[in-house]
Amino acid sequence: MQSEYAIETSDLTKVYRSRWVQREVRAVDGISLRVSRGAIFGLLGPNGAGKTTFVKSLLSAVHPTGGSALIFGRDARNPEARRPIGYLPENHRFPTYFTGEGMLDFYAALSGVDSARRKKRIPELLELVGLKGWGNVRVGKYSKGMLQRLGLAQALAHEPSLLILDEPADGVDPVGRRHIRDVLTHCEQNGATIFINSHLLAEVEMFCKEVAILHSGKVVLTGTVRDLTAGKGYRLSVPHPPELLVEQLRTRATTVEAANGLVTFRFPSRESVNEAVDLLRAQQCEIEALTPTTNTLEEVFLRAVQK
Amino acid sequence: MTATLALIRDTFREAFARKIFWGLFGLSTAMILFFLFLLKIDIVEGATATVSLFGRTNNRAADLDRLVRGVYGSIATFLYTFGMFLAVFASSGLIPSVLEPGRIELLVSKPVSRTHILLGRYAGNVLVVTCNVIYLVLGVWTILGIKTGIWSPAFLISIATTSFIFAVLLSVVVLMGVLFESAALATMVTVALMLMSPILAQTSTMMRLLSSEWSRQTWRTLYYTLPKVYDLGKMTLDAIQSRTFNGFMPIWTSALFGAAVLAGALAIFARRDF
Repeated sequence: MQSEYAIETSDLTKVYRSRWVQREVRAVDGISLRVSRGAIFGLLGPNGAGKTTFVKSLLSAVHPTGGSALIFGRDARNPEARRPIGYLPENHRFPTYFTGEGMLDFYAALSGVDSARRKKRIPELLELVGLKGWGNVRVGKYSKGMLQRLGLAQALAHEPSLLILDEPADGVDPVGRRHIRDVLTHCEQNGATIFINSHLLAEVEMFCKEVAILHSGKVVLTGTVRDLTAGKGYRLSVPHPPELLVEQLRTRATTVEAANGLVTFRFPSRESVNEAVDLLRAQQCEIEALTPTTNTLEEVFLRAVQK
Repeated sequence: MTATLALIRDTFREAFARKIFWGLFGLSTAMILFFLFLLKIDIVEGATATVSLFGRTNNRAADLDRLVRGVYGSIATFLYTFGMFLAVFASSGLIPSVLEPGRIELLVSKPVSRTHILLGRYAGNVLVVTCNVIYLVLGVWTILGIKTGIWSPAFLISIATTSFIFAVLLSVVVLMGVLFESAALATMVTVALMLMSPILAQTSTMMRLLSSEWSRQTWRTLYYTLPKVYDLGKMTLDAIQSRTFNGFMPIWTSALFGAAVLAGALAIFARRDF
């Protein structure tokens, strides 16, 4: 079945009910989300927002209480819907009796990769994630970063068209993160849809094109990273401006910061910054920098979850 | 098929890593070596002239066939009691280990149904024990065959019956594992069922001793419902000793029990959130 969406959920709900106490937790509360084919999508949210439950609902590891989830147009409850998915869980625990190769062989076989293809694919995967030469070593001897890369390799074993990664950079050092990003870029170039669940906002901002922010089981904000972080103002830096001029500009600026003789004004609009530039140039002041302001994803995130 | 084989192979790999396979294999080997080196039989015209065990010689002219059948019976009894206990103890951790957080999520995210996952694990577990039973029974059978010249195929039945009753008991381990994720509890419940079996098997005696119809009915229900480890062991012994036995009821009622318990475990496993 062809669908333009890799992931499509409609009013997806998961309620956990306590067996003994009259208490229920709405971990996922009516989430309707669409992730287009080929998208690089980030799911953000504070701890306990319902991100992992949402991801597990897509994989049928958790049974939704209501709503529906489709993977490439197929009901996520159907095991066949999971065939195009490569999944890296959060806090995975690979059995330590496996060697790297053995582990990849096992999970690739479960994903339906035949024996001949696995023999060829496993060395390729180990090389791709930078673990060449580690295939015969037991998983118990791997560092956290290596385990994460091995986990990524198992997710890629059957060349999935949808990668669902739960905290892929968790516990990985900056070099390892860079490596993971490179691998994911490679997957993106091959047309895979990448869905990342993470609390590492900088990582998501750097890599994802679209995000959704979850809070208390609900989507509170969704959009492209570019649109969400686009600012509405300008930052103007002036070295050693005259005091009188600073006072004049202060009335037009939203904020003024001074450090080491450099005064930085933030103006809310193009008109106000142009007026400021005219004033400064009339006084023959030098301008160090003039840049449009942007929000970081962290600022957007904090605003969204603190509403 | 690829996924099924992978699940079975994984169970073997874990059994090797946990030394379960080697433990059972070592025990079987010790028994085989025991018969190979310590049991010396001198035969004169088809009958034993002397039987030597632990270096002590018994000069009674015993019937060789009876002796061999006796040895077979002892091994079958060993398999049904001590061997079964060991197999249950050894296997009890193999189901809860799959359900560990961080491992199960990845398994169920694969394009394989949960029924398939659990049955693959179950089949792998049965095969681990069956391989050891085959090794032990065939080993002893071959050694005794070579030493005595008697090749009684009846003993080979114990491969099927031992593996069968283990498969039935393993369904209880699986159910307990899926319900409580506790190897200890799975072992306790399964061993309790094994211990109850010889007691429940005394049905005719109990029918005379129990005073009320209600208690007699309860006893009968328990007897017919629960797996008949004792009865199956006795059936195997009877088959080995060429004695007749009364019907196949212990086989099909135990099979029904195992199937029902396994179906329950599969249903619970399919509905669980991980």
